[in-house]
Amino acid sequence: MGLALIVLLAFSIAGETGLADEIGFGEVTVEGDNLPFLADPSTADPALGFTAPSVSGADWNDTPVAIEADGRPKIVIFLAHWCQFCQNEVPVVQDWVDNGGLGSDVDLYAITVLTNKLRPNWPPQDWLEDEGWTAPTIMDDADSSAVLAYGMRGTPFYAVLDGDNVNLGRFSGEVGINGLETMKLLAERSIGG
Amino acid sequence: MSADLILVYNNLVAILSLVALAGAVGLLAWRLVKGPQVAEILGPSALWLAWLVAFVATVGSLIYSEVIGFEPCRLCWFQRIAMYPLSVVLLVGAIRRDWAAKYYALPLSLVGLGISVWHYLVQAFPALEGGSCDLNNPCSSKYVDVFGFISIPFMAGSAFIVISVLLGIYVNKNSFKEETA
Repeated sequence: MGLALIVLLAFSIAGETGLADEIGFGEVTVEGDNLPFLADPSTADPALGFTAPSVSGADWNDTPVAIEADGRPKIVIFLAHWCQFCQNEVPVVQDWVDNGGLGSDVDLYAITVLTNKLRPNWPPQDWLEDEGWTAPTIMDDADSSAVLAYGMRGTPFYAVLDGDNVNLGRFSGEVGINGLETMKLLAERSIGG
Repeated sequence: MSADLILVYNNLVAILSLVALAGAVGLLAWRLVKGPQVAEILGPSALWLAWLVAFVATVGSLIYSEVIGFEPCRLCWFQRIAMYPLSVVLLVGAIRRDWAAKYYALPLSLVGLGISVWHYLVQAFPALEGGSCDLNNPCSSKYVDVFGFISIPFMAGSAFIVISVLLGIYVNKNSFKEETA
């Protein structure tokens, strides 16, 4: 009797919060050689000066997005929906962008990675939309092509690229406003230079 | 297993863990109010009850990893190392009506409880584990989050608590007196 009540209660709770069977992956095309993995963030990035591959795909609205050598320096942030550090960092980044922190000379892109519907805060698009996310975003594929292309370490993960897609630095972990400002300066310094 | 079924399972195990915690509190209160003789009321059943909790926890964790597909993280494995032998040691102890089985099982349960508490803290304060989420399988990531506070280490910790209370307070020489006489 007691067990039956527990099972009934479990079903009723599940009914209230049932998961939709959506998918948080996209189709990703990578052109160029993958960057080596950022093995130890305390040492120099082994891919400094390497040209990052072009990564193209789409966001959850099927809007095409390409991270390529388009002449503009850029910051690329890799986000995992289940990662609490990413959940902390997203509002910080969005506030920074909303307050004009990014400026007009540097572009910001995002790539949602390591999507797993068994993990919390899924799907990533709902999370990012709730946060008012505005940066062009690519949804990585199930094979983690974008993760491999950029040699990603732990999330959140940043790559700073110049206008020719040359890697100026990769960083792992929460960086906050100061880190964002530093990456922006790094990207701006590459202009004309 | 479908997403809805996983959710039902999560809720079921979460409710069981709350029941286990409430049981542990009840057993502690009973002992405090009625005194040491309550151990004799439960007698050898306490060992069977502890085994049942360990067995359900073992099967429950295997369902998570082998049926649902949740990959255990490093700290999950440490808790498994403590829990899985309990379901064997306590069974042997219960069959043999050997109250001394507590000396083998209680340390395992207390170590497991310590790891569960640490794991729960790591999930609450991910910075304890480092500054970023490991690609492979970070312990700070929650596969399960029921009612906003019940995660897998909470469930394991609840099991370790009730097992520890049963072994520490209800399983002793006196409570098995008639059986061993």
